[in-house]
Amino acid sequence: MSNTNGQAIRAFFNKMKSFREATILLTIIIFSVIISFLAPNFLTVDNLKTTAIGMSADGIIAIGMTVALVSGGFDLSVGSILGVSSVIAGVAYLAGVDIWIGCLISVAICLLFGLFDGLLIGKVGINPFIITLGMMQMARGVAYVVTTGSPQSLASVPEAFSFLGQKDVLGLPFIVLIFIVLAVAGDILMRKSSPFRKVFYIGSNQKAAKLSGINVSKTKIGVYMLTAFLASISGLLTLSRFGVATPTAGQGTEMRVISAAVIGGASLSGGQGTILGAVLGTVLLNLINNALVLLKVSVYWQQLISGLILILAVTIDHISHLNKKSLKTKKSIFTSSNAVINNK
Amino acid sequence: MKKWLLKPIYLLIIVVMAMGLVLSGCSSTAQVSDSAAEQEEPAEAAAAQVEDEAPAAAEAQDTGAAFGADPNEEYYMVTFLSGIEYWKGCYKGFEAAGKLYGVKTIYGGAAEYDVNQAVTVFEQIIANKPAGIAVSCINPDAYIEPIKKAMDAGIPVVTFDADSPNSGRYAFLATGNVAAGETAAKYLADALGGEGDVAVVTLPGQLNHEERCAGFVDYIEANYPNMKVVQTANGGGEQTTAATAASGILQANPSVKGLFCTDATSGVGAVAAISETNRTDVKIVSFDTDKGTLDAIKAGTIEASIAQGTWNMGFWAFQQLFQLKHDLINPTEGWEEKGINPLPPYIDTGVNVVTKDNVDAFYVSE
Repeated sequence: MSNTNGQAIRAFFNKMKSFREATILLTIIIFSVIISFLAPNFLTVDNLKTTAIGMSADGIIAIGMTVALVSGGFDLSVGSILGVSSVIAGVAYLAGVDIWIGCLISVAICLLFGLFDGLLIGKVGINPFIITLGMMQMARGVAYVVTTGSPQSLASVPEAFSFLGQKDVLGLPFIVLIFIVLAVAGDILMRKSSPFRKVFYIGSNQKAAKLSGINVSKTKIGVYMLTAFLASISGLLTLSRFGVATPTAGQGTEMRVISAAVIGGASLSGGQGTILGAVLGTVLLNLINNALVLLKVSVYWQQLISGLILILAVTIDHISHLNKKSLKTKKSIFTSSNAVINNK
Repeated sequence: MKKWLLKPIYLLIIVVMAMGLVLSGCSSTAQVSDSAAEQEEPAEAAAAQVEDEAPAAAEAQDTGAAFGADPNEEYYMVTFLSGIEYWKGCYKGFEAAGKLYGVKTIYGGAAEYDVNQAVTVFEQIIANKPAGIAVSCINPDAYIEPIKKAMDAGIPVVTFDADSPNSGRYAFLATGNVAAGETAAKYLADALGGEGDVAVVTLPGQLNHEERCAGFVDYIEANYPNMKVVQTANGGGEQTTAATAASGILQANPSVKGLFCTDATSGVGAVAAISETNRTDVKIVSFDTDKGTLDAIKAGTIEASIAQGTWNMGFWAFQQLFQLKHDLINPTEGWEEKGINPLPPYIDTGVNVVTKDNVDAFYVSE
């Protein structure tokens, strides 16, 4: 890949991205302003802090999910891997293993799960839906087998470990800090680093990517190992936060995270998406949930309303995206055809 | 890597994954019966009964024979979501009762929360012609026909924990959930001195949780004029979701002094929420007795929890099945033909409040 080619594509995506994120950011701001009038407790340090803690586990996973979506796939197993990760570390600790070694074992096993997914999706070429669905059940199954269904309590875990999920650093909860660091690193890598740029090529046009010399299967293996790794980190942080390894931890995470990434501009058909967008998507979803509780909306109405807001947000985003896109069509065709020429 | 090498490697991966899937599917069911069969000591609360049972089990053959029991008789306990902690207590009671009579007890049920699979497993068990079945019904209507089928085949059926009232089963044994909610309300209200705001984290749409919630709310309203249930939130059955819901409640209602969580996972979430919002004065009453909840009671982060009589459910369900199977109950001559139910049709297996004082009695050794 030549440098000019990379730059051209980068410029093209950057324009799409900066626009995309502006819409969600605006949505978040308008939403926050409205809610802050309706619920005086909304814009308080305490509320924002607890909301931030609550979204961190999902947010860390959303980083990996965006990469998977950009590559043209997705990963349904992340919630289960979160669960199995926290359970393996917890059970290892209760069996007398040092908690940090337990964490390493847990991350290693989750990476193996990711490698399995990646090999079958990338090398063998099976559909990511069915493979990660299978892995979702398998990993959850492992969590049940390891715990025989019982939540494992880590009452006497070393303070250094419970620090991760329970304490503040520089006024920020450590778990939120980790989320921010990972998100910033992920966003920069997605924009600048060549291995991550390859993911965009593969997601936009797998055949062209292959012809231009990109090792598609290797990249895809990397993608699913990344999603598993981040889910595993999220699981360990969840374990530290609650001090209990529950086999059901992370149930339903996958759908929340996929919708956050899509709200943030990621495309289910691949080739599009940014970490910043996914983070903003996570923020929006969590603010909506927070607002529903603060406004004391009846529990029976909450799902209906949050579903409605979700559809509304994505529709507004899509329509405004269409308008802007039609203005830019000429230029984008130019840049992308340029890229193809450069590739040859 | 050589191409000829890749094929067998993929094949191996597929086989390993397939085995993994199969294992993960069935182990959760198998695991429970295995662990139960390992002769673990049940909850110490039940230890008394179990110790009595040890000699009884030794002569079980004779005891059983006295009642005409064949040691190969098989009694099934059938559940759904069969891997979860909750059923273990039920099966321990069932197993303990089975040992008294020297017959076989078997635990089974679908691993998923899925009506179809749960009913399928139940029907497969009927096909084995067991001596009796205690079943927890994932859906009341879905079990009407299958239970009728079993009863017609001469297999006595009782339901526990979750009922199928129109199926013709002999009896239903369960926690009175409204009463459990009332017990929680009374405890929390007294702990708060009968004053202040409280809130509930529950699982809306699930009958048992709705009943606990309603029992709690109504009892507070009726008996504590200076207290108010200000909000009900959805814990979602997952700890992160529950923590978010609980912190929302605490933000929206600075006056809240107590939380009632209708499931243990919400309790875990609530503990994180009160520490993250620095509201450690808020008292939590949770539900059930997994180790996480018990440890939290010991540490003082959870004030109390409501323990269900799961052991009782299993133990008395078995007793009823055995009595029926061996025609030991005869309230009136020809009750079967006259359509008279020989059993108490509903048994409330009761609740206990677990606090710092008695928490040690509820630990189950692993």
